Amino acid sequence: MHDSVVIALRDTLDKVTGFIYPNELELQWSILIVLYPYLTGLVAGAFILASLERVFNVKVLKPTYRLSLLTALAFLMIAPLPLQVHLGHPERSFNILFTPNPTSAMAMFGFVYLWYLMAVLLMEIWLDYRKEIVGWADTDPSWLKRLIYKVMTLGVFKPTEKSFVIDDRVGRALTIIGLPSAVLLHGYVGFIFGSIKANPWWSTPLMPIIFLFSAMASGIAGVMLLYMFLCWARDVEIEMPCLDTVAKYFLTAVIVAFSLEMLESIQTAYEAEEHFDIIQLLIEGKLYISLIVIQICLGSLLPILLLGLTQIFELPEKVRKVFYAVSGTLSLIGIFAMRWNVVVGGQFFSKSLMGFTTYKLELAGREGLFSASVIAVLPFFVLAGLLWLLPPWENKPGGAA
Amino acid sequence: MKDIEHLLRVAAIFLVAIALFVAVRSVVKPESYGKLGRYRAAALDEIKALPVRYAGQQECGPCHKTQAREKAGSSHRGISCESCHGALAAHAAAPKTAKALKPEESSMRGFCLRCHEAAVSKPAKFPTVEGGKHNPDMACSMCHKPHSPKI
Repeated sequence: MHDSVVIALRDTLDKVTGFIYPNELELQWSILIVLYPYLTGLVAGAFILASLERVFNVKVLKPTYRLSLLTALAFLMIAPLPLQVHLGHPERSFNILFTPNPTSAMAMFGFVYLWYLMAVLLMEIWLDYRKEIVGWADTDPSWLKRLIYKVMTLGVFKPTEKSFVIDDRVGRALTIIGLPSAVLLHGYVGFIFGSIKANPWWSTPLMPIIFLFSAMASGIAGVMLLYMFLCWARDVEIEMPCLDTVAKYFLTAVIVAFSLEMLESIQTAYEAEEHFDIIQLLIEGKLYISLIVIQICLGSLLPILLLGLTQIFELPEKVRKVFYAVSGTLSLIGIFAMRWNVVVGGQFFSKSLMGFTTYKLELAGREGLFSASVIAVLPFFVLAGLLWLLPPWENKPGGAA
Repeated sequence: MKDIEHLLRVAAIFLVAIALFVAVRSVVKPESYGKLGRYRAAALDEIKALPVRYAGQQECGPCHKTQAREKAGSSHRGISCESCHGALAAHAAAPKTAKALKPEESSMRGFCLRCHEAAVSKPAKFPTVEGGKHNPDMACSMCHKPHSPKI
């Protein structure tokens, strides 16, 4: 025991530059905590895209409406997994619900999450699909699916036409409630970082709003790429007016998110408080690739440039598709880098403001690259299951999703 | 009524779920939770009931006068006896049967370096050495007596 402590202490010497407090030698929030805001961001963004069609009546977005909802659900179901894996003891996680602590932002997450999952997303999807579910419960060739649909009808096999009109109204009301709920869900993630006053890299009231807009950008990009991929996989034509509109919203979200991030950085640089020196070293050193190159240049500026070109010039359909696909992918990578820069970057420097530690991402292990990759891929399997059960394109004349 | 039958059924499911949550909560919530704050009040009594293992260093001096005097005049004066010799409540109660821990010379090096290994995070005035270079094959106590380490 004693020798191992000494060896561990000696090993940390290589990791450290400058003077840092001993309790900050080791980075506690790993890649899993990077993944968590990334996944919830995709949920919030996808839902906000869906609500554009429902609440704001952007009818051209109809082909992506259901896909956005299912994407949000798939990612929401996996979103708490990185936290569970990071903390261990999933059996204890129910205690945050059974013995709630209203003064803790983290402890309140369970309720925010449950509300959003149960009262908003599941309800809205169910109401939207009910008409089809009743039909599928009788006609689907698979007995397993028929059984699931029968359960989902809740025993109401002969719904009245008026009930669907009521469904539509209730669904609309739910989306209107759901919009602030989606904002709350992701704003809360930013709030947790923004309210850590001990860390100048995190502690800014802009944090919830920065997280929210980058979430919108990532969610819209995610649904846009999924829509393009699914059309290609099903061999149907992409509805270009829909894709062009999604891309327009995507561009807006990227511009706002990027502007807010830059505003925050410029403000920090101009104020140049006592912590600015270390932040400058951080940006120029350890975060240079992930922040300047990936997040700002490749993840924000290049997508803005490409999407901007599609707005200014009348480019052929093929070129637009390539530009959308490239900028969506780049933006998703850039936003992951943004979460990385916030979560890991904020732990690189010490509260002494005089030194840095290092984070070495392990490959295997509970908090390693492997388990993070599995969690990142899982939502797509959940989505595949949801698409199998609730195909978003079944009742659309013209075929496209 | 028929038009909103499905919504009533959903409402019923939600109500049952909430009732179930309340019922499960009443079973799993620790009884003393919330009496004094957001923790189990009974935990205080449980902690109080644990056996006392540490005696405190005022218990050592009356018997081990020489060592206590040596240590009082050295830079180790702020370190309690039990930091190196282990928990001593049992030894203080029955000195003959319960023996105090004595760090072995062979493992002593790692023991000393736990505090004195060089690290950037330690204050400049604190005496540190690089264990790998500072007479690596010798026990620290060959030169530095633990109760009065200055040579």
